[in-house]
Amino acid sequence: MILAGLFLSAPACADLVVIAHPKSGAEQLSKEQVVNIFLGRFRQFPSGIAAEPIDQAATSSEKAVFYQRLVGKELAEINAYWARLVFSGRTQPPRQAASAAQVLEMVAANPGAIGYIERPKNESRVKIVFDVEK
Amino acid sequence: MQRTQRTTATSPVAPAFALRGFGTLAAARSSSDQAEFVRDLSQPRGLSSGEWSGRTDSVLGLQANWQATPELDLVAQAVSRYRYDASYRPELVWGFAKWDPNAHLSLRAGRLGTEFYMRADSRLVGYSQLAVRPPPDYFGALPFAHIDGADASATLPVGGILLRGKLFAGISTEKVPLADRLWDLDGSTMAGGHVDLQAGPWLFRLGHAALRFKHDLPAPAATVITALSATAVPSAIAAASALGVRNTESRFTSAGVVYDEGPLQVQLMFNRTQHESTTFQNSTGGYLLAGYRVNRFTPYAGWSRVISTPKSLATGLPNVPPLSQINAGVAGVLADSRSNQHTTTLGVRWDVRDNIAIKLQGDAIRGTPESIFPYRWEKAGWNGQTNVVTFSMDFIF
Repeated sequence: MILAGLFLSAPACADLVVIAHPKSGAEQLSKEQVVNIFLGRFRQFPSGIAAEPIDQAATSSEKAVFYQRLVGKELAEINAYWARLVFSGRTQPPRQAASAAQVLEMVAANPGAIGYIERPKNESRVKIVFDVEK
Repeated sequence: MQRTQRTTATSPVAPAFALRGFGTLAAARSSSDQAEFVRDLSQPRGLSSGEWSGRTDSVLGLQANWQATPELDLVAQAVSRYRYDASYRPELVWGFAKWDPNAHLSLRAGRLGTEFYMRADSRLVGYSQLAVRPPPDYFGALPFAHIDGADASATLPVGGILLRGKLFAGISTEKVPLADRLWDLDGSTMAGGHVDLQAGPWLFRLGHAALRFKHDLPAPAATVITALSATAVPSAIAAASALGVRNTESRFTSAGVVYDEGPLQVQLMFNRTQHESTTFQNSTGGYLLAGYRVNRFTPYAGWSRVISTPKSLATGLPNVPPLSQINAGVAGVLADSRSNQHTTTLGVRWDVRDNIAIKLQGDAIRGTPESIFPYRWEKAGWNGQTNVVTFSMDFIF
């Protein structure tokens, strides 16, 4: 486990994108807006709709890669960040989905939901609002 | 960390109720046997006689969250740690209702952790911190953990930056150990606020808080005050009044900046503490802490400083026995809150797992022999210097 964490913490995820519901009112989000939503600093779409971020599973490579590319942080650091906010009674971390498919389903079903998955093909139920670049 | 469920049609199984916890197992040793090193002044005893002890930094916390509605969250947190009465009896540190009517506003009422300085309200959560403990030169003089009251936070995005403000007010129910007595803070009022500016990896904060004490200090300060008053000499009675703490205000002003991006994190903070009562010396403190992560290891280095300004008080009493005893007592009270030291910190944090961190830290404290406020049970041979070594394991669950 420990060695796996050391050497396999950032496997190559080809093409991660942030997805939102077409009714979120968001065409494109800036990196700062995505950071604000996922780190719980300000959870609102520019349209005014409350944003509800969804994480992939804690053990998923998508989650590790997402935060690495977004803020350059390892999951341990993200957990430390949330420990500070949760145990001082502030913001809650994103809800956690069990799988990428579930993230897609949740975003497709909820105008406020926002998640990250491998770039979907032929998926009209959600909108790509941010490219998580390498 | 699972998040509670909101109104989503297809959702993971996430309860509206969540139970979480944090803790630290630590062993620390101080090289000096002439004064006991403490994490902060809420601790009646510290590290003594070169022994390894877990009392300064070990802690266990449990928190229950109940998301009653998407806007309403009920939170209770109990913490067991070495506390003012030398026991580990768990106490309720947080217990409040939080109402977030929208993304801009957050209102809380109940028992709340005090946020006198940046990160002061999470200083028991070792896992959330880079170092073993928040620098005692900066946070050590804060024995207050919680208030019963309310706070309000507002967030406003302006272009690419976030502006945040928070106001809080409440009443203390705590006690502070002083030698073998307890100083009762029960009924003391606290109020304050801060303004944050978050710009990408940068976070700037200005803060201010004030505390009005409900009760005077116990002996020996109380004994000195009684003796001064008993002389019936007007100048001595005035001195007794100046030493009083009841109904006086202490003010805490702070400024801080945090840079946190990728493997690098840096914190720089300053504070200024001013006391209306002549009993406490005004002080200035600050610290710089920086860490750089390399894989799962984050070596860090810090430097902190606290210095107070002695106050003088004339009793008008001649320095002849038995009155000289009273003068000596006054001098003793005035000297008790003296701080003048700096600390160099080196350490490494090893994130063994994504919820466990092991730390090894060394602190070299260099001060003057008069620097006794940050310690407990200092002896005549105290030279103001000690080295502290700490091993800790922090975890969350």
